[in-house]
Amino acid sequence: MTPIPVIETERLRLRCPEMRDFDAYAAFRTSDRAAFVGGPNTRTQAFDKLGEIIGHWHLRGYGRWMVADKSTDEALGVVGLFYPDDWPEPEIAWSVFEAAEGRGVAFEAAMAARSYAFDVLGWETAISCTEHGNTKSQALAERMGAKRENDFVTVDGLKLHVYRHPKEAA
Amino acid sequence: MIIKTDRLILRAPQPSDFDAYAAFVADPRSAMTGGPMERPAAWRSFATELGHWTIRGYGLMTVLEKGSDKIVGQVGFWYPEGWPEVELGWRLFGGFEGKGLATEAATELLNYAATTLGWAPMISVIAPGNARSIKLAERLGAKLERSDWKTPSGKPTLIYRHAWAAGHICIQKAATA
Repeated sequence: MTPIPVIETERLRLRCPEMRDFDAYAAFRTSDRAAFVGGPNTRTQAFDKLGEIIGHWHLRGYGRWMVADKSTDEALGVVGLFYPDDWPEPEIAWSVFEAAEGRGVAFEAAMAARSYAFDVLGWETAISCTEHGNTKSQALAERMGAKRENDFVTVDGLKLHVYRHPKEAA
Repeated sequence: MIIKTDRLILRAPQPSDFDAYAAFVADPRSAMTGGPMERPAAWRSFATELGHWTIRGYGLMTVLEKGSDKIVGQVGFWYPEGWPEVELGWRLFGGFEGKGLATEAATELLNYAATTLGWAPMISVIAPGNARSIKLAERLGAKLERSDWKTPSGKPTLIYRHAWAAGHICIQKAATA
């Protein structure tokens, strides 16, 4: 497959998820912070999901990165391009771990992911899906200039708002 | 990584294997190995299996019939979080049973584990009702080691321990949790 590209922003490095990220990722997936992204999960499910993030790159040629602190390499979140089989269209997705809360990490990483989608992959459009009630995520979508469109219910019954990103902002 | 046997080719999974995979896991026959699943769940599960290769350095391989290149099933090394140790797993897709193909693929990978990887005799984790897999484990020379271990999601299992053939030199222990 195409190797997972590395993207650097002012404070962050977006890179391939690895086993050394597992504890930080599992801590997130097993916590209440994962309630808006289909969790909380068990550690075993978290391991499967870490694999799924990497497998998504094989299947689609793009995917989500592990977002790491550029200087310490601490794993801070999972952000990138997400298009599983049952999604209406490809989206820009973000989740940040507790250590990254309130520092603009999700915004910085999501903007880099959106630039990658538009400038490198040549996407014509992009959405982001946020679960009903996930006000933090909705605020981020709006900060990125995305506009709410319709709703989407996943096969697992998650109710999501669909936001559409502006292309000219890239 | 490509391994050839008399009748089979074993190679790393590719995105183009997904349709055959989805068809198998949609079938009620897959109940003994984690199914049945609808296509969206199958897609995520297949992605997980692909990613397992990057995380662990090994994983489930796609087994093809030599000549026809038809996908016969999967065999490989599987080690999710919470498993007691790395196991040899196998799934035969519909229409290829009864020809000894799973035996042929599993035998080859046991040889590979013993000689190339230098692993100690490894396990296979089998659902108690999976008579075909139990028979295959026994044909491979594995012995029932425990029946009290449950998967992290609470499913009962039988753990079989394989035996290495004489002449295999184990230079290191199998990866353990």
